[in-house]
Formats: sequence, C-alpha cells, structure tokens
Amino acid sequence: MEYILKNGIVYDPTNKVAGEKKDVMFKDAKIVEDVSSDAKVIDVTDKIVMPAGVDPHAHVAGPKLVVGRLYRPEDSRRGVTAKTKYIRGEAGFSIPSCPTTGYRYSRLGYGTVVEAAMPPLEAKHTHEEISITPNIDIPALPLFGNNWFCMEYAKENNLEDMAAYVSAMLKITKGYGIKIVNPCGSEAWGWGMNVHGVNDKAPYFDVTSKELIIALAKVNEMLGLPHSIHIHPNDLGHPGNVPTTLETLDAVKNIKKSSKATIRDQVVHCTHLQFHSYTGNSWKDAASGAEEVAKYVNSHDHMTCDVGQVTLDETTTMTADAPMEYDLFKISGLKWANKDIECETAAGIIPCIYSGSAPVSTLQWAIGLELFLHIDNPWQVCLTTDHPNAGPFIRYPRIMSWLMSSKRRMEMIDNGEVHKWAHKRTTLATLDREYDFNDIAIISRAAPAKIHGFADRGALTPGYRADIAVYDINPNEIDPSVQYEEIEKGFSNALYTIKDGQFVVKDKEVVMNKESQNIWVNVKGYEREEEKVINDIMPFFTQYYSVKWENYPVHDHYVSNPIVVDVER
Amino acid sequence: MHYANTYLEKPVVPDVKITGEGNTKVLKCMLNTGSDIYQGACKKRGSTLKQEYKNASGTCYMDPRDMAKLGVNNWDTVLVKTDFGEVVLNAAASRDAPHEGTVFVCKGPWANTIVSHDTYCCSDPTYKGIKCTVEKTDRKVLLMADLMRWVYKKYVDEEDDDVVENMESLGERPVYKGRKWEELIDHDL
Amino acid sequence: MTYEPPITDYDHIVENCTCAFCGCNCDDLDYLVKDGHVVAVRHACRLGASKIMEDMDQRLLVPMIRDEDGELKEVDWDTALDTAAEYIANSIRPVFYGWSETSTECMKEGVELGEYIGAVLDNQATICHGPSLQAVQNAGYPIQTLGEVQNRADMCVYSGSNAMNSHPRHMARYAVFCRGYFRQRGRFDRTVVTMDPKFSDTAKMSDKWIGFEQNGDYGFYNAIRAVLKGKELYQDVISGIPKEDIYELAEEMKNAEFGVLFFGLGLTHTLGKQRNIDIAIKMVQDLNKFSKWGLTPMRGHFNVNGFNIFMAFHTGFAFGVDFCRGYARYMMGETNTIDLLVRKEPDCFMVIAADPGAHFPNGANQHLADIPVIQIDIHWGPSTELADVVLPGSFIAVECGGTSYRMDGVPIWMKKAIDKPETCRDDEWIVRELKERVMKLREEPNVLDAYEVNPNIL
Repeated sequence: MEYILKNGIVYDPTNKVAGEKKDVMFKDAKIVEDVSSDAKVIDVTDKIVMPAGVDPHAHVAGPKLVVGRLYRPEDSRRGVTAKTKYIRGEAGFSIPSCPTTGYRYSRLGYGTVVEAAMPPLEAKHTHEEISITPNIDIPALPLFGNNWFCMEYAKENNLEDMAAYVSAMLKITKGYGIKIVNPCGSEAWGWGMNVHGVNDKAPYFDVTSKELIIALAKVNEMLGLPHSIHIHPNDLGHPGNVPTTLETLDAVKNIKKSSKATIRDQVVHCTHLQFHSYTGNSWKDAASGAEEVAKYVNSHDHMTCDVGQVTLDETTTMTADAPMEYDLFKISGLKWANKDIECETAAGIIPCIYSGSAPVSTLQWAIGLELFLHIDNPWQVCLTTDHPNAGPFIRYPRIMSWLMSSKRRMEMIDNGEVHKWAHKRTTLATLDREYDFNDIAIISRAAPAKIHGFADRGALTPGYRADIAVYDINPNEIDPSVQYEEIEKGFSNALYTIKDGQFVVKDKEVVMNKESQNIWVNVKGYEREEEKVINDIMPFFTQYYSVKWENYPVHDHYVSNPIVVDVER
Repeated sequence: MHYANTYLEKPVVPDVKITGEGNTKVLKCMLNTGSDIYQGACKKRGSTLKQEYKNASGTCYMDPRDMAKLGVNNWDTVLVKTDFGEVVLNAAASRDAPHEGTVFVCKGPWANTIVSHDTYCCSDPTYKGIKCTVEKTDRKVLLMADLMRWVYKKYVDEEDDDVVENMESLGERPVYKGRKWEELIDHDL
Repeated sequence: MTYEPPITDYDHIVENCTCAFCGCNCDDLDYLVKDGHVVAVRHACRLGASKIMEDMDQRLLVPMIRDEDGELKEVDWDTALDTAAEYIANSIRPVFYGWSETSTECMKEGVELGEYIGAVLDNQATICHGPSLQAVQNAGYPIQTLGEVQNRADMCVYSGSNAMNSHPRHMARYAVFCRGYFRQRGRFDRTVVTMDPKFSDTAKMSDKWIGFEQNGDYGFYNAIRAVLKGKELYQDVISGIPKEDIYELAEEMKNAEFGVLFFGLGLTHTLGKQRNIDIAIKMVQDLNKFSKWGLTPMRGHFNVNGFNIFMAFHTGFAFGVDFCRGYARYMMGETNTIDLLVRKEPDCFMVIAADPGAHFPNGANQHLADIPVIQIDIHWGPSTELADVVLPGSFIAVECGGTSYRMDGVPIWMKKAIDKPETCRDDEWIVRELKERVMKLREEPNVLDAYEVNPNIL
C-alpha cells in the first residue's frame, strides 16, 4: 500500500528539514522517495509532520514496574477507561498497564521507547511485557553496573573477558546496550549501604565506581555497540552531587568512540541529568547546579544527556538505585518497596508526590527546565521524565509547552503555581530562551534516535521505517509563546500516528493493536571468547545463582518478532 | 512398566498409647486448618478419591492429652462441630504436640465443611482459629466423592443428610459413562 | 512408606526440568523417561515427586458433560467446548477462577476471554496470600530474590509458615542449608527462627522457636516494633512470649547482617489477616534502619505469583479483576471469588487449574451446587464432583511448556519433557477455543464507540 501525506509542514532535523511544506511518502512499511499514481493521498495541509517520537529512557516494562502496579491499585484506578471497538480498557496513570502504555505513546505520536533497566535474571519478564505492549518498538538495556562478574573483571582490568561477557549477556538477555545504575552502590545496598562519589568501593569487591565505569565504557567501544554506555551516576538526588556527576562524565572523556558506531557521536549518555545537578549540603541549602553542569555539557562533545523533567504530579519512583529509594522512604514515609536481584542489581520503588507548593519539587522542576535552556546544542539533550520517576510520559506535551513559552514559565513563577525557590535558588527566571518546533523535533525524536544509534528510525529518510506522526497544529499560525495550551493539546493527541506504514492512530483515535517488536544487538565474532567466558563463570553460576544456566537465558519464545541489529567484529 | 511409587495409605503419626478416662463427652477446642506434607503430596498427585486422601485430609490431629479426655485412640473417629457445619474425622496424635486445646485438620473437603467463610472484606476466608467442639462418634469418615455428595447434593435428589450419608459408596475410582481410561493409556501402576 | 529400590529401567533423562508444585519452582529436576512416560524423578522433594509421578487412575483423559441422570458422560471435544461456551456466553456474571497451576501463555487467552465477556478473573491468592497483597498495598513490599538469601542471609525467620511441609526444598536449596557466596558454611552461618503457635517441623529445625499464642501475631510484631523504636514494654508477657525474649530477639534481628522474613498462611488466615502482614512489613522496614532486611511471602502454587504479576501488567490489578463494566475493577472483599460466591452473585463458574471443591469453605461452595461449573484440570478431584463440563488439560512443565513466576518473581520457562496423552489438550488451546466459540455466540457487551479519556489523568 502506498500513501502520500500531502502538504504538511515537515520537521525532520536529521535531514535538515525545518518547517518546509512538503509531501512525505511511504510504501508498505518504508519511507520512499516516490510513489506511483495509485498512492492514497492523505491531506495534511499545514499540519505538523514529524518522524514518530523516540523515547530514549523510560521504565515501561519489567519486574519493578509490576511491583508498582501490584502495590498501587490507587494509581491503576486513576487512569481506568472502558474498552472501545478497537482497543482494550486502560488502567493507570504513572504506571499504566502494558496495553495502556502502548496506546498512550501512540496518542503522543511516539513509535519507539527504550526500556531503561532490565535485570538479566528477570529479563524474560521484561520481554513478556514488551510482547504485549502494542504499537511501539521497545529495546531494553540490561543492567551491568553492579554485576558481580563485571566488578571482578573491572578489578582485574580484564577487558577482553568483560567484552565477551557483555557480548554473551546481550544475546542471553536479548538486550540493546550497557546500562549502568549507581555503579557499586546497589551492590553496597545488599548490605544496606551505599557508595558516595565515584572513588568509593563496593564492600568486599575491591573496585571503585569509576574503575567500573571506565572499563564498561572501553568494552562498549571495543564491541562497537550502536549505543554508548547509558549511565545513571552515583549520588542521585543528593544535594551536592554535581562533582560526582562531572567526575563520572570526565572519567570517560578520553575514550575513543568505536569506528563501527557511525551514527552516534557520544561515548557516554548520562540519563536524567536533572537528578544529578544539585548543589548544597542538604535539602536546607540545596540549590541548582544546572548552570555548572550545562557548562560542562556545552564544552564537551563526548557526552549526551536526557533531562528527567519533573512534571509536578503524583507519581511512582522506581530505580535500580535502591539505596536512594530507601532514603526517600526515610523522608516521606510512604509505602516502600524494594527488589534485590542476586549477583546483579537491586531496585527500589516508592510513590512520590511532586507538588508546585513544595520547595524541593519546585527546585527539581526548575533545574530540569534550566538544563534544557542552558544546554546550547539540542542534539545533546533529550526530552524525558525518566518515566515514571519524575512524572508520567503523558506529560511530554506539557513540557514541550513550557519549553516553547517563556511567558508560561514566568507566569508559573509569578502567580505562585510553583514555590519561590524557583527564582531564589535557580536561574530559571532569568532565561527567556524558547524552543521552536525544530528544537522540539530534535529533543523528542532526532537526537534520541541518533544517540541510540538507530539506523532505521527517527528521521524521514527514504528506506527508513515509516514511523510518522502528524499533529493538528499549524506552525505558521500558532504563537507557542502565548498559545501554550494549544501546544500541549496538539502534541497530546496526534492526528495520525503511523508505525511501520500502518495507521495506529487515525483521526486522533487509537485504532489498532499492532504487535510490538523488541530490538536487540547481536555482536558477532566473539563466539569463541564467549564460550570461554561462560565456561569460566559456570562453577560460580552453578553455586551462587538460584536458577540453572539452562533456564537463565531469554528463549526465542519470548522474542517471537525481534529486530536484530548485527554488529560485526 | 515400573514406576516410582509415592502412595502412602496413612500419614505417619506418633505411636502413643492413650490411657485417658474418656470422661469428657464434648471437648471445646480451637480449630486450625492448613497443609502438611501428606495432604500436599496426595492432593497434587491427584489421588483424591482414594483412602490415602481421606486419611491425609480427613484427620483431626490432636494433643494426646485431649485424646485421653475423650478416650479416643489413633484412627478412631470423632465428630467435629463448628458454627459453620460438622464433619466426621479420624482422630490422630499430632506430630507437633503439645498444643492442648487446639486441633489441626489439613485443608480439604472435610475441613471445608467446618471452617468459616467470613472474609471480613479481605478476600480470604477464616481458615484458622475457629471455635469447635470434638466428640467421639461411631460414624465413619466418608471418602471424598461420598463426602461431596453428602455436603453439596448437587446431583442427588435426596435432601436428607442421613440417607445420603448411608447411600452406596461411589468408591475410589472415577464414576462416569464412557471409555475406560485404562484403555486410553498404557499404565500398570 | 516401605523401601523402594531406585528405578534403573529408563530410556533417557531430561535434565533441568522445573517443578510444578510450590512457589519454589525448583528448576533442577531430572525426569527419568521410559516409553514416553516419566517413571521417576530426581532432586524433587516428596511433594514435587508425588505430583510428577501422578496418579493415572484419576487423570482426566476425556472431555465429559453431565447427562440428565447427573452423571458425567464422555463426549467429543466439540460438544464439550460448545456446551462450555454456551454456559459462558449465556451468563451475566461469570467468574473464571484458578490459573495458578497453568502458564502465563494460557492466562493470556483467559484474560482476553474475560475482558470480552465481562467476567471476573481471580486466582488462588484470594484464599491464600490475598491479605498479603492487600498489606503490600498498604505498607510496601521490600523483597529480594532467593539467590540473595542464599548468598547473604545470616538470619532467616519463618513466620506462620511450615516450610518443611509446604515448601520442603526451600530451606535446603535457597535459604538455610545451602552454601552462599558470603555464607560459605551454609547452615552454620545462619540463625534460623520459626514463629508459629505450633512446634512445627520447621520449628524443629530452627535455632529458636517463638511459639506465640493463637491470633497473637499482631501483638507480637507490635512489641518487636516498639522495642526497635527504643520503647519499653510494660507487660511482662506479650502474646504468650516473655518480654525478655522479645528484647533479645529484637537485638538479634538488629544485629543480623542480612535478615529475611518468610511468611505464610499462618499470618494471612488468622484473625488479624492483612493487618498481621502490614505490621510484619513495617517491622522489616524499621529493621532496615539498623541492617539489611527483606521479606518474601511463601507462595503456595508454582504460578500463583505469576497470575498476580501477569494480571498486574495486563490490567493494572493483581487479582479479583472484574470486567463486567467494560473496564477493569478491583476491590478487595467485593470482586473476589469467595465474597462473590457467598453473596451468590455468579451464574457461571469456570475453574481452571485449581480445586475449589477441595479448598473453599462450605459456605462458598454451596453456591457452586446451584450454577453451572466448568472444570479445566488434569485430575479428577473434589471439583469434578461439582462440575457440569470437564475439559482435560495437560500437565504444565511435564507435557507442555510454559512460563511461571517463582515466589520471588523470577520468571522461569518450564519446558516440556514428554508428550501429553493423545486425548488431552493444552490449557492454552482449550481457553483459546472457548474464547473463539464465545465470540461467535455473543456480541461483545459494554463497548464504547470512541475512547473517553479519564479526567483524572489530565
């Protein structure tokens, strides 16, 4: 089937198209240069056309999500809707059920979401959820930052074996890249402790967070993975964590990017940077470190980041940074869940109420916006809420409206919608930069796709997947600075969302349950080394894991319809 | 073909000689239900029609001192009554004794007739901590199929408990019309 | 039990099979197979071995429906499925109960059928760890995988759980006796405490038995919490335990390096129900101020946790999910099977891989005598005596592969080892057939023409 999306205003930053009126054509599942006269014409005159959105970091599938859903029925009830002719009933606000997650991303015009934390032991669970989340493709990043084998390899500086192990684990977990969360800290949490700063060691493992990060970054480039290491540094959410953040990023600045990774520029992606940009010694004197952090970003091109923008909602925080979640429990006393995974990682979950009337929430809200506005190059920063940690992903359009309207931001500060810390402890009130539609297209699709090294999405390049979003917004007539409400409304419900050439949203209604696909990286050429490493770890595995090796990998049964990205040695 | 066999007709219970007077006619107790390894093994093997299940689940485990008060020995029968029903059970000395004043019955159709269905709005019936009385009886413990017929009477027209209790036993094998299962599977346990 | 010589006459061994009995899901079983039958099993406990070495006398092999005499009669698959589908399609308040002894693949078909027709889907949690889930929703859920316990734990507490009887390999394989990375001497490196009014088999293996009195659980935990908070106990004996012992135990728990509380139905079935678990969870949270503590509910069936996890990611709620209004609803004590049956609401009851006849109180089961009951199972059990349609399924983890979730949430692919009897069908196939037949018989009720957003998320 051939289609022409006619007369739309196209924003396709990768191909340097910024608001031109032009037609977008696709045939079957792919974008094409030209179509025959039989093509069906869809009139989208003066409406925004963009590649479908790419979320570089969200928690949408996996064991800790399920703990959240299991223990927060109040959240599930909040988003309940009845089934329609096309779709199943929905449930959930900050932690929607799997079908709901797919439908809501479709309404936002998104086509790809990266699941940011997959514990290898429970990877099957993550993939079970991915397989029933409709309409979006979901690669998942397995966790390596507290893995006992990785800590041992890093201590011995045994990068060859570590590379083979990582390569094997990507196959075993059907994973996409290397995720590092609070390196060494979640292992310390096994004893109720944490590490502080990058030079602290995990108890009993004679290795520092910094050594581990450097080793994993080197391994990432040895293997030439499409994505760089994806790091959540130590000391998340602690006032005064700016030095830790900068030290983490600086540790890998001299590592050379692999020549095989042709799409991305960075060697490290720092996620939810907002949570890592606090100054002060305690919450009493905490203030924004955004300017300092942004200055670092502006002067270093080896890194990229996403923000983790606080949306001022009641949400559910969940992270593999389990000790941090216990710290939150000590502050708020809300119901605390925890999930430690043997030899690999940990996780913590706690509900969190971000409120504009609270000083700390406001500070976090302002720091996120500051980062967006202080970082000069939009290709280095992505739009996320670290869903659901700083807020649910359905708030992306609202964040876009904040970024596009300095007037709205000042209004919120002036009329008391946010606490006075916003102007007392941050520079937000002094920033009048406003994003344009092209910037929005960069931070919500082009940059995330580039950072993750996707060679088939995030742009309207012929040959790419026909993942397209059309929004009912006329960029030539709207003034986002004043009409921020219309911006939020327009981006909240796409007119059309096209995934692999199929209309999953038509006339603003989700009309399809399209099977989602997992994307995983298959590193080739390390088979012999992988076999050796697996033989080496087998006695340990047999003794100290609670499952048999045969039952450890994610069998093909769970990834029936994958997109495999081959990486040659 | 030779199969490993896990069938065990009766649970192993302490071999205590009960030398009580048996002066108490009706003993007031606290009833707990739950699982034990004999009940679990028999139930999940699927041997629920057999004597084994009757003996694993249809048994009231008692403190020997309580048994002495009633004058019952291992595998004598007792009648247990609660606000929710009554049932005839085997009596046996508990492996977990002493717990004077408390009796334990493994979960199963027998226990179901005397436990409380009250959930107090939290989904779970009250299976433990129910007040009951225990008395000696001459009535027999029913096999599972007979017990289900006696309690629920779903497929008998008779309403009278005593009549149903004394109907011809349904036995230890499935009762149905159709091909015999032995014909469908080569099996020689 | 008399001595039996080991089985030596077998064709081949299938290794690393997963036990389909309790929530331990031991995945190291070896099946000895001869002529397509499992003739013996290695590594399993008594319970697991007993289940795998099933009783073929009572194996359900043919589909059956009740005839006019009230007797079960063999019919062909089409007739049986059509009869069952009619019962479901003609009902207005169907309940689909069970699921804990089948695979998540089968549940997927079940939830689609349930959502289509507007049924209530519920599992065995409703009669075992339902109060635990409610408590988790009140207080939190600090858990860890069993390997964490094996490698780190120096203190294991079993409360209201007789692991030696209901999870016989739990202590050996995961928690107490096994060697762990930081506990190289196994049992000798760990302190084991059992809290139970009975001197149970688990208590007999423990270093310490806390025999608090019946229904004394809440008071006992409350006292421990008070001590942890530095308060003084005014009563000399609390819940039957002398206060000195409580001080001593609290001190020991504080000083553990890594402690775990395993709790079972002893807490959920007594008077305090979810409040017992509430306070146990809070105690564990308090203990984390001093050292590292976690807990794990001792789930009974091998996939009871799986159903809760599966329903949570499919529908947003863990169990007792009511679709009758076209969207998922969940309310403890209202949309759960026992409450529905006691209120005599359901007019059709499908039981899959469960046995209400054996495990529901009389007061709930009485209603099953008044309504059509469809049974999907592998053995003739008490529920068969109440069933109007019987559909013989296959044995997950022996005759059919499938996914299950261990008590700690670790997913395991349970592989197939032998073929099922020719006349049986996989559970997944049966439920899918029912779904398709029901869809033909009845148009989907409660469907909106267009999506209506819930204003609470705007």
